[in-house]
Amino acid sequence: MPFLKNLGVEFAVEIGSGSGVVITALASFLACACFATDINPEACQATAETAVLNGRKVDCVNMDLLGAFRNRLFDVLLFNPPYVVTDPCEVVGNGLNRAWAGGFHGRQVTDKVLSTLDLLLSEKGVCYMVLLKENNIQEIQRFMNENNFKSDVILERKLRGEHLYVVKFSRIL
Amino acid sequence: MKLLTHNMLTSKCMKAVTVGYPLAINASDVRVSEVDFNPDFIAKIIPKVDWAVLWNAAESIGQLEGLPKEIVENYENDQDFLKKAHHVLLEVDVINGELICPETGRKFPINNGIPNLLLNEDEV
Ligand SMILES: C[S@@+](CC[C@H](N)C(=O)[O-])C[C@H]1O[C@@H](n2cnc3c(N)ncnc32)[C@H](O)[C@@H]1O
Repeated sequence: MPFLKNLGVEFAVEIGSGSGVVITALASFLACACFATDINPEACQATAETAVLNGRKVDCVNMDLLGAFRNRLFDVLLFNPPYVVTDPCEVVGNGLNRAWAGGFHGRQVTDKVLSTLDLLLSEKGVCYMVLLKENNIQEIQRFMNENNFKSDVILERKLRGEHLYVVKFSRIL
Repeated sequence: MKLLTHNMLTSKCMKAVTVGYPLAINASDVRVSEVDFNPDFIAKIIPKVDWAVLWNAAESIGQLEGLPKEIVENYENDQDFLKKAHHVLLEVDVINGELICPETGRKFPINNGIPNLLLNEDEV
């Protein structure tokens, strides 16, 4: 958190903001412009309402990932992706299944973001992502390293039979 | 949708679209609400904003309120300019209307302040 204060964040975004509690918390903590996207229209509504109820400003847009944003805007990107290992054919539509269905290795959605991270983050930008042990963190770290990003596990927690990590990705300068 | 957000959105993800920027705005309901003015923050984001796009967007929905067409010199210290920029970037909200792709004319609805830029499978 002190790290983020020092980073000098202008634009922060959460992909898949769902209820909106995460980005609203960030908006309470940093004096920056906060944005959110979700593929589910009801989640977008919920995010907007949560922000307003807490007296925060979060501009929410219904879209797939960050596909409709210009490149390299964001200094902070948060994503708690649908990471559950499922049949790839479950990763369809824009309903509630999109909250968890992660397809093959639970990586179908995650990989789309990570493989384009260079185009999503500003020069100083960092990404925080929730990952599951089954997502194969080592392989992700290796792949990101090849793409000039370092990966740091900043939190590890076992919860209701899920082994979760929060991984921070930042550019290797 | 704030005009700051509009400044950041494109329809580039559509097949057959090369730039998809800027999206035109067709607003049926615009709301202006007061937001705390933080001049340092506004000064920091101005270099990240496409000013011409912001100006045209504000003009197209009748919300210029004296916004200069060009960024003024030494804007960091120009409270009046920063205040006007603040107003247009953060205080003007398009609640209902649509965004329009400049290349294909595809319309994206804005309902309840939330633009819907989801694409159909045959559009990507
Ligand atoms: C695991 S939930 C996280 C919800 C909330 N951020 C939280 O931490 O409580 C994943 C969210 O991502 C959204 N989502 C899934 N795929 C998406 C995509 N391609 N683009 C945008 N949002 C997506 C889902 O609708 C859901 O709200």
